[in-house]
Amino acid sequence: MHISEGILHGPTLAAGFVGAGLIAAATMRNMDMEEIPKISVITSVFFVASLIKVPIGPSSVHLILNGLAAVVLGWRAFPAILLAIILQAIIFGHGGVTVIGVNAVMLGGGALVAYMVWQQRHRFPNMKRREFVFGALAGATATISSGIVLALALVTTGEAFAGVALAVLAAHIPIMLIEGAVVGACADFLQRVKPEVLAGQSTRADRG
Amino acid sequence: MALDIDRYAHLGSPIQRWDPRFKIAALLLLILAIALLKTLPMAAAALTVAIVILLIAALPMHFVWHGMTFILVFLIPFFIVMPLTYPGEAAFRVLGLPFALEGLRLAALIFMKALSIVMISFAMFGSSRFDVSMLALQHLKCPRVLVQMLLFTYRYTFVFLDEMERMYTSMQARGFIARTDRRTLRVIGHFVGTLLVHSFERTERIYKAMLSKGYQGELHSMVRFHSHTSDFIKAAVVLVLALALAIADMSGHFSLAEQAWF
Repeated sequence: MHISEGILHGPTLAAGFVGAGLIAAATMRNMDMEEIPKISVITSVFFVASLIKVPIGPSSVHLILNGLAAVVLGWRAFPAILLAIILQAIIFGHGGVTVIGVNAVMLGGGALVAYMVWQQRHRFPNMKRREFVFGALAGATATISSGIVLALALVTTGEAFAGVALAVLAAHIPIMLIEGAVVGACADFLQRVKPEVLAGQSTRADRG
Repeated sequence: MALDIDRYAHLGSPIQRWDPRFKIAALLLLILAIALLKTLPMAAAALTVAIVILLIAALPMHFVWHGMTFILVFLIPFFIVMPLTYPGEAAFRVLGLPFALEGLRLAALIFMKALSIVMISFAMFGSSRFDVSMLALQHLKCPRVLVQMLLFTYRYTFVFLDEMERMYTSMQARGFIARTDRRTLRVIGHFVGTLLVHSFERTERIYKAMLSKGYQGELHSMVRFHSHTSDFIKAAVVLVLALALAIADMSGHFSLAEQAWF
């Protein structure tokens, strides 16, 4: 889900860039040399994985996976998503150059909310399939938060877009369910196979 | 899936020969001017400018068309949604639904602006090697860390795309068919998880290999930029066009897109 070029007003576009810049600066603090190639390489995985299509009846949707980025990268999910969005604008013209800021705030912001949800799992040490449940919650939260930011950005553009904004929010509900199921399954899988890949594990230093 | 935006960077058109620093700076300003347009005639003028730039860049049609399909699929629904959801009095009814001309004009404005910007951005990034474009961005004061990360991400995108396609083929060979059910979603979740596990192991190796080659947090390039008078002239022409579009749009000679066609 992105917003495309040509829709939003100048002030909204500018606010997007300022917001994305500030959040990127905050989430990239204390990043050491080792993390530069690592985050970049993981970002390319998310980039190609978001090309996967999931069939919905006769149609299909792409995965967004910003919730999964939060589950794997923690706060560093924001710079990763920013990279992916810039690359997408350059390679596909999808989204676009002037909406990079707004899209980063939308998808990256969703990831930050998802990470807060994901971290709540430490409160339930004895829960069965805890990583599945919180992964699914993180995936769903990321999607719906992004949907809300997108709807808000559309509404700031004018009341003519209120109808579109509502349609966009409604379209996010099935996507939210799909993202939740995929991210939950993935978090569960990673917990069993290679738990050190997951972000914010209590056994190791926090990635954020 | 075609990810190599710079596949035709070697063609010798005036856009390809343009110093990437000037090209990116000038075209980005033009894009900014187009993004802020509010009147239909100027949006149409912008679309004409974009088409001309794309023609000068001489990128093969099938390459450009492939890139355009993404944005067209996204934009066409606006022509249906906007007229039906535009608030206020509707001009007439279609099949019992209110159909507002204001909505149609707004959709046309969005369509022309978005299409022009995507075309220009194709001409911009399709006409230089990716690493050269990124280096030009760095010269234009884009943060070094960001440029370095974009280069890494772009480079490994191809590696993981290959890996993903290989894994998907083997999954299909074992009988996997994507359906609309929970099992498919679980399998896809595990599929992405496997991809992540592989990539984590790979990043360790990549980082060690880079350290052993002397990586200290900076990338070095053999690319050197040279600018000539022609680079300035091309940039000046584009800037004049951008200014002309912006000034004509704000001059009041044309009505806002929501109010009239002209």
